Amino acid sequence: MRFIRKSLTHPFRMLTCIHFNPIPMKRGHVKPIAVFFFVVLLVFSGSSLIAAENGTFQAAREEMVSQQLRARGIEDPEVLAAMKSVHRHAFVPESLRNRAYADSPLPIGEGQTISQPYIVALMTATLDLDRADKVLEVGTGSGYQAAVLAGIVDEVYSIEIKEKLHEKAARTLKSRGYTDIHTRRGDGYFGWPEAAPFDAIMITAAVDHIPPPLLKQLKDGGKLILPLGNPFSYQNLVLVTIRDDDYTVKQITGVLFVPMTGRALEKGEE
Amino acid sequence: MIYWVVFILSASSLAFEVLLARIFSISQWNHLSFMVISIALFGFGASGTFLSLLDARRPGWEQRFSRRSFLLKLVILYSVSAVIAFGGLNRLPIDYFRLPLEPVQMLYLLIAYLLLSIPFFFTGMIMSIGFAALPDKTGLVYCASMTGSALGAVMPALGLGTLGEGYMVLSAALIPLLLPLFGDLKRWEGMRTALWAVATLSVLAGGIHYTGILDDLKWIRPSPYKALSQVLQFPNTEVTETRSGLRGRIDRVQSPYIRFAPGLSLKFTGALPRQWAVYRDGDRPYVFYNLNSEDEPTFPRFSLPFAGYLLVPDPEAVLIIQEGGGVGVPFALAADADRVTVVEPNPQIADLVRTHYRAPVFHSEGRVFLSRTDRKFDVIQLENWGASLPGSAALSQEHHFTIEAFTQYLKHLTEGGVLILSRKLMLPPSDSVRMWATAYESLRRIGVEEPADHLALLRNWDTYTLIVTAGPLFQGDVAALRRFAEELNFDSVYFPGIDPKEVNRFNIYDEPFHYQRVQQLLAAYRSNSAEAFFEAQMLDVAPQSDHRPFPGRLVKWSRLDDLYRSLGSRVYSLLMSGEIVVGVVFLEALAVAVLLLILPILFVTRGRLMSTPYRFVLYFLGIGAGYMFIEIYFIKSNILLLGDPIISFTVVLSGVLVFSGVGGYLSQYLDLSHLGYALGLLCGMLVAILIGYPVLVDAILGMPPFFRYAVAYIVLLPVGVLMGLPFALGMRFLLVSPVQRAYAWAANGCASVLTSIAAAQVALGIGIPAVMICALAGYLMALVSIYRPTGAKAVYS
Repeated sequence: MRFIRKSLTHPFRMLTCIHFNPIPMKRGHVKPIAVFFFVVLLVFSGSSLIAAENGTFQAAREEMVSQQLRARGIEDPEVLAAMKSVHRHAFVPESLRNRAYADSPLPIGEGQTISQPYIVALMTATLDLDRADKVLEVGTGSGYQAAVLAGIVDEVYSIEIKEKLHEKAARTLKSRGYTDIHTRRGDGYFGWPEAAPFDAIMITAAVDHIPPPLLKQLKDGGKLILPLGNPFSYQNLVLVTIRDDDYTVKQITGVLFVPMTGRALEKGEE
Repeated sequence: MIYWVVFILSASSLAFEVLLARIFSISQWNHLSFMVISIALFGFGASGTFLSLLDARRPGWEQRFSRRSFLLKLVILYSVSAVIAFGGLNRLPIDYFRLPLEPVQMLYLLIAYLLLSIPFFFTGMIMSIGFAALPDKTGLVYCASMTGSALGAVMPALGLGTLGEGYMVLSAALIPLLLPLFGDLKRWEGMRTALWAVATLSVLAGGIHYTGILDDLKWIRPSPYKALSQVLQFPNTEVTETRSGLRGRIDRVQSPYIRFAPGLSLKFTGALPRQWAVYRDGDRPYVFYNLNSEDEPTFPRFSLPFAGYLLVPDPEAVLIIQEGGGVGVPFALAADADRVTVVEPNPQIADLVRTHYRAPVFHSEGRVFLSRTDRKFDVIQLENWGASLPGSAALSQEHHFTIEAFTQYLKHLTEGGVLILSRKLMLPPSDSVRMWATAYESLRRIGVEEPADHLALLRNWDTYTLIVTAGPLFQGDVAALRRFAEELNFDSVYFPGIDPKEVNRFNIYDEPFHYQRVQQLLAAYRSNSAEAFFEAQMLDVAPQSDHRPFPGRLVKWSRLDDLYRSLGSRVYSLLMSGEIVVGVVFLEALAVAVLLLILPILFVTRGRLMSTPYRFVLYFLGIGAGYMFIEIYFIKSNILLLGDPIISFTVVLSGVLVFSGVGGYLSQYLDLSHLGYALGLLCGMLVAILIGYPVLVDAILGMPPFFRYAVAYIVLLPVGVLMGLPFALGMRFLLVSPVQRAYAWAANGCASVLTSIAAAQVALGIGIPAVMICALAGYLMALVSIYRPTGAKAVYS
């Protein structure tokens, strides 16, 4: 895959060179028809390489969905479809693209990570979203989670406090055609009051307390989800549901952590 | 001349190593620094291997290499390689978390190993040359090396406060370049070397200026994964003050986005007070709340740890023993405490707390403070939330959570007093169960018949609070806790008479895991089968004593497969744990050591090395291992006595090295017949220390600092002197050729590195006394190896 990527970038660089400097030094010695064929050949080989790369990533995505998500009990067809369609490799650094669909979180620079695919799917599925729901994501990060959410609901709001991350994620989302996702740089602690109330709020990083202003921006019956542990190894999720001003907090372990008991106790319990 | 070169280079190398560890503890993930520095120390061993190999081609090298001009060239090479290694490491895009993902990271790690081992290689070479060239003066060479290293151990303490970490490490690397300037400048050879040194210094200065390394050194940038780097990415956030010291670097940060309120109820609808924070080595923030003196802060009354204060309304005296966090003082103020006393181990943070809250603050370790006072408190609150990334604290030694510590807290409570402890909640229940068990056993130790009547445990979704009471909990107390939990949506885990129906109601797990585990443990205690309970657990949750005070250590090697499966079969989750990293590093180190020791045997063809009896190789392996085990035993034992790991490290290293240097010097007046007695006496002394030192530490814990430091040094004196004899005497009398001495140097170096890694695991897994038993085994092995198989008489003449 590394080879494919190198071959892919190389012809395009040459093509750009030809485009901006169409009169090479030995132009008089090169027949125009040869240049034409050369360009056609490059375009052809470039697009076939893109196709090959996309094909490889698509295969990796499908495998990710079947091996990492379905096999672990994610069954929501909309979540699975979204995970299958969003190009995760576009949200990870170039050097880690060949690991984009691996069963692990990835560092994306600045001490940030893109969550393990299973965590993204589990968080999304746990919210049990409908198309008409309005979702707020606190912590845009790479933008991947927002893109997945956009495949399931119509209205996604995503807020990121760190400038570099916000700019990069907004650029990636725009370049991948996710123009309906509302992003902004700001303090997620206070949510997005202008767009409130929300049907669901997703906090994408571990916090020591749930910000009271966010709880106020949840609709009655709304849900808030956040991960526990550290970004390299989330241990479980916390799902808060609000109903009639009362909160229920449910700990979702999934296969993030199987709370095994002691051997002797297991035997005793059998 | 050679003595001065050995002395200065030893000082520089040790200071370089200590400062590098200091810098790494800021700029890198802790595990990475452990990996890199451990392996880099193989530079010492590699120098012995290199000279052993060289011997086959260039006999007589020791005489040529010991010339003044050659030694000074090595000094120049040392300084150049140290500066390049440091500059290179600073620029190497090495990222611990990318190691399993990006193959190129392995290359970076390898470059880091090699870069860093080169300066140690040159230092090792100079020492090895010294031993080989002056076989009759090995004691003096050894003395120069040890006293130089002792100076290197205290150098950071002297200069960090003014120079900071970056400039200090650069100074340590460059100081040896002054050596050629003190040579015989009247002769052309001396002048030429001095000119070389000046030219090197100029080129290095130019290089440092050109590459911008100097800018990097002003403020060592913390790892991007650390809490300080994270907060600095927020707008309007800045470091307003930085103070460096031996105990760590403190960065004071102002930001509108610092909001710390662990254990806060979802029912809290107000706003938190404005906060600012200080970070230690780029992590472990301590938060200050800007409280308006008119109002009491409201958020503590909505926080889980406040449950403890419900049992002591209007407390008169509150003691806060803190290590990070920062909610302790606001809690005490919210509870209307009359007198709040804060104990803070870091002197810089102690100053800030004193100024900010105008509360009496004692700069001391909590246990030491309690040993020195008879005062009793209505509330003792322990605040220690751990590092920002779980797993990174697995190797941390802390004496606040042992049975002895809890016993001490309980003895300082008034009749109706309470101990409050809040920590992160884990699944499966581990830390909370360990703390509950620790409290149970310490209550039993002070004579409480039914310890369970003195305990309460509550939790929310990510923290728990353990309450231990001096007297039994009454029905009214339990009712108050019940009401508090009900109103603020917290969950009860344990209190006397708890009903299974009142657990796991608001923060719901699939099963009430924490409640179940505590009930099972209680039943086990009541049926005297607690050991079987702890044995059966997947994680090590047994209470710890001062002999094994590692509260973050949970991994059981025998249950690693279960742990892996329970973590969703995710390999990278395992890599978060310090113990597993230690295991990996040990295997790496073993491979390097075997390579370094086998190479000369395979390639030295002239039979010189093969004539070295294998038991003498064992001898040097034994004394190398024994020496390092003793050092580590004392460093770990003195953490409680001296109150800080870095202070303990500095005291022990400086003491052991100076006294060993004295031993080396005295060895010049001894001969082979004394070696067996010296080893025997040392072994006897180690047994006495093993038995008596913990008792001594306990007895003098409450004494003034000067007295404690003096005792630490006095105990080190005889041991250190005896530790200095075997190496110098062995080099002088057991070995006959330069190649044997070079090889013995390699064996000694390899043993030291392997031992330093193994000692960490031994202390974690078995306990600190086991480290001393390993030391004893090392020296006994050396003792046995110098006797003929008949056991009658020391050999070699």
